[in-house]
This record gives sequence, C-alpha cells and structure tokens, in this order.
Amino acid sequence: MKVLIVDDEQPARQRLVGMLAELGDCIVSGEASNGREAVEKAEALGVDAVLLDIAMPVMDGLEAARHLSRLEPPPAVIFCTAFDEHALAAFEAAAVDYLVKPVRRERLVEALERARRSRFSATAEPTIPASLVQRQRSHLAARMRGRLRLIPIEDVHYLQAEEKYVLVHHARGEDLIEESLKALEQEFSDRFQRIHRNCLVANDEFLELRRLVDGQVQAILRHGKEPLEVSRRCVPTLRERLKHL
Amino acid sequence: MVDAARRPWFPDFCRLPRIAAVLAIAELVVLIIGLAPTQTQRWNAQEFLAASAFALWLGLTQAVVYCKSRTSIDALPQSLGLAVALLLPVLIAAFGAIAVQQIDVGLGTHYTLPESQRLRFVASIAALSMLISALSLRYFYVSEQWRSQVHAQAKAEVDALQARIRPHFLFNSMNTIASLVRSDPVTAERAVEDLSELFRAALGAGHGESTLAEEIHLAERYLAIETLRLGQRLRVDWQVAADAPGELRMPRLVLQPLLENAVVHGIAPLADGGEISIRIGAMAGKLHVQIRNPALAARGIDIGNHHAQESIAQRLAYHFGPGARMVRSYQDGFYLCQIELPLT
Repeated sequence: MKVLIVDDEQPARQRLVGMLAELGDCIVSGEASNGREAVEKAEALGVDAVLLDIAMPVMDGLEAARHLSRLEPPPAVIFCTAFDEHALAAFEAAAVDYLVKPVRRERLVEALERARRSRFSATAEPTIPASLVQRQRSHLAARMRGRLRLIPIEDVHYLQAEEKYVLVHHARGEDLIEESLKALEQEFSDRFQRIHRNCLVANDEFLELRRLVDGQVQAILRHGKEPLEVSRRCVPTLRERLKHL
Repeated sequence: MVDAARRPWFPDFCRLPRIAAVLAIAELVVLIIGLAPTQTQRWNAQEFLAASAFALWLGLTQAVVYCKSRTSIDALPQSLGLAVALLLPVLIAAFGAIAVQQIDVGLGTHYTLPESQRLRFVASIAALSMLISALSLRYFYVSEQWRSQVHAQAKAEVDALQARIRPHFLFNSMNTIASLVRSDPVTAERAVEDLSELFRAALGAGHGESTLAEEIHLAERYLAIETLRLGQRLRVDWQVAADAPGELRMPRLVLQPLLENAVVHGIAPLADGGEISIRIGAMAGKLHVQIRNPALAARGIDIGNHHAQESIAQRLAYHFGPGARMVRSYQDGFYLCQIELPLT
C-alpha cells in the first residue's frame, strides 16, 4: 500500500516514516508539508492512503480531505492530530480513521488496516459531512483532463457562470469548475460581489464603475481584459457595498 | 486596561441592601442616644418611637440624596466632593429638625426641646447627622474597596490559570520528542528538560511572582522547543538591552503566552515561516517589551487568543497599577505587541 505522509513539522513526518518502515508492508511514496502539496502529490503519486495532519499552513487538513475525496480513485484519509479540539468525530465520515499524536504503533497498524479494507473492497466515495462543506475553502479545485488543479482563492479575479460550469478567471489563467455560482456566492460572501446574474467579482478587483451613454453600467477591473457588464438590478447594492470596502 | 485612579470613590447608595444598612445605622444611633446615661429622665416608649421615626426619615432622605448625587459628587475633585458629601447631611438634618420642631410645637406633643431652644436642637441634630454620615461614608468606602480588591485578586488568579500552556503544545512537543528519541537522543533529552521547566512554571502560575530574568529564561525554553518542531520556519531575534532590570518582579507567565501567540497565530500559518523579534529594554523609568512577528493579513489585529492577551493585560495592571500599558497593532503584514511597565 502506497502511503503519503502530510505534516508541516519535519520531526512528526520523520517519526511516521520510521514507524511505517518498521511495519514493512507499506511504502512511503512521499511527504508533504501542507494540504495543497498533499492533494497535488496524492494525485501525482497515486497513493492509496494519506496520513493527514490537520493544523497546517496554506491549506489545512480538513480542506485537503475534501479535495482528496474528489480524486479518482480517492485515497483513504487518516487524520493525525495533536489534540482533538476539532470535534473530530464530526469529520470521521471524511476519513477512515483518526489518530492522536504521538501516534501509537498499534493504533497506526489498526488505522492502516482500515484504510486497506476501505481501499480494496467497497470503493464508495466518502461522504463529506455538512459541517465540513460549510467551511470556507482556501482553494478551488478544477478538473482538467482528469487532473485536479488547485486555485488559491486569493488568486481568483472573477467568476463567470457558463451553463452548468463556472469559469474561474485567476492569476494563472482560466479554469472550469463544476460548481454553482450561487453556492460559491454563499461560501465566499465576504470576498466576492455579484455584478450580474452570471458573474461574481473579487472585492479588490474593482477599479471603477463606469456609466455609458445608454445608461448601461460597466465595471472596470484591475485584471480584466475588458469591462464587465453590471446588471441594472445589481447597481444599487454594488455601489453601497463598494463604499464600505 | 482598568485605570485605578478613575474608579469612583463615592459609595453607591442606590442599592436596597445599602439603604437597609443606612436605616439600621440610623436606628442604632437612636438606640445609643436612648441608652446613654443622663441626669434627665429616660425616654418613654412613645418618645423612643418618635425619635426612631425622625431618625429613619432623616436616614432615608439622606440615602436618596446620596444615591441621586453620586455621579455629580464623583465628578468633583476628591476633597471638594468630600466637603459636599458632608455638607449635604447638615442641610438635610437642619431642615428636618426645623420641620419636626414646628410639627411638635403645633401638635403640642413636646418630644423635642422647647421652642426657646430651637437653635440648639437644630444644631445638635445637624452635627450628629454629619458625624454619623462621615463615619458611615468611611465604612462604606472601606468595605467597597475591600470587596473590589478581593474581586481583582480572584480575577488575577483565574486569569493566571487561563494563561496556562495550551494542550496542543504539550502533545505536539511530546510528538517531537518521540521522534527525536531515536534520531537525536541528546536533543530529545534537552527538549524534555525544557518542557519540564515550562510545565513547572505553568502549574505554579497562580502562586507567587516571577522576575523579568526568569520570564526571559522561560520564553527561551519555549522557543527552543518550538524551533525543534518548526525547524527553519521559526527564526528568533532576541535583543535584551544590558540595562534591562532582570530582577524586576512581575507576574508569572507573561512573556511566554505572548510568544506562543506569535508562533501559533503568526508563524505557523505561514508556509515559509518568519522571524519573531523580541526587544526588551529600560527607558525613561519604564521597562519596554516589544514583540513583533509577521502574520497573515486576513487575520489583522484580531489574530490570536484575544482572551489570553486580555488576561495578561489584567494581570499586569493588577501587579503594576495604572502605569502598566499593553498595546497591540497590525501593520504591513506585521503584528506588534508593546508593553510598558513602570520601574519604581
């Protein structure tokens, strides 16, 4: 079984690497020091199980578990945490097990056994509990030719709905994601403003609002190639909210 | 931070228990006067009741006037406020005495002195009233002071308990040590020593004081452990001036929680970590402590455990009085915590 070890602390990774080496029947495919790296490496290396710390920079373990569940096939997630303040039971559904640090050898064996069973028997996708879905993510995940691509939310300039997809315009290009604009608006209500039925714009992207001769209002964006149309219905609330930014 | 100098000194009379106490004092005075051995004949029951009614009436009026004028008296300079507070009972008692005597003469009951001695009656009632008021004010003041002191002390103790090290830190450190035991036993041994020292201090945080030198030592132990855990991501720049008074007495566990805050909420969420800079020095009769660390912009000034910082501010205020200051700010990606303590 191929295992990925994820922790932002080197000694913590080192200990797990040592323990797994002694167990013998697992291969440590790689190590990652934050959630984002974990998702990228898990996909690239095609691991079977991920030992995942929770408190990490860039992307925490809970969000990483959410993205990992979308990989095909999803690896078995085992949370490792120092102190179960996160009401871990609530997140159990997203993981096959969770361990508290310092991890005991017997518990590790048990958790890996569970991972093996879930991995090689029923390949049912883990159901992500509602409490985990409601948390604001730090990254959006786009699937591109079967590959998962993570876009940091602070790099997103604006979001445009296109039929059943949303086109994400971000610092490194454009990507399609399979989510609804409405759900995105709710999740990131403090970060984006709606300017049209089909468009959300990041707060710090607005340069100015321009009114054309025909009464049409356009938003000029910092990184937009061209001005975006602001629908008449959104103008008053938009002006009001921009005033307070 | 609570400013001790601006706390109201005038007792609060707008509370039922306090009004009851005022009435009890008034009745006590009547009893004392009634029991005092004199050459003239003693009061009979009717006279005693009349005197009680008069005293209770004066007491109640007094309490109501004090209740209503509390804020105005507190606004005055303390000596002037005291003069006003003592003049009020004189006026109230004089007015009451004149009124009662008029009624007494009108009804022909002869409970008070004859009309020829009206001035003596009014003056003695006024003087009695002022003396009793002065005594009661002093009593209420002292009991309120005592109560607030007990409260502050209890709060300081609770705060000290809250300042204890987070369980997270314990388990993470144990995990680090478990890892080092095999790869680097010497470092593991030192980490166990550091951890023991920290917990010895934390478990005794409620009792006794510490000194600046001890606080610095403890903070160094703490950062040593965190450096093992975070490696290159945590960098520390200590600058303790030569004139920093190491023997200065201060509450225990003030510095370490602030550094823990800087590590947990400042450095740890950054992928590449950063540097915590600590500056400690004396200037113009004050000890200045400055802790600066990078932090994610989104978290702003509210980063960290607000409660723990409040508790440190409280404990410093309790120990050093109104001269202690703690200011937190966030600017250009850096979080800054500044502390000023009087050196007297």
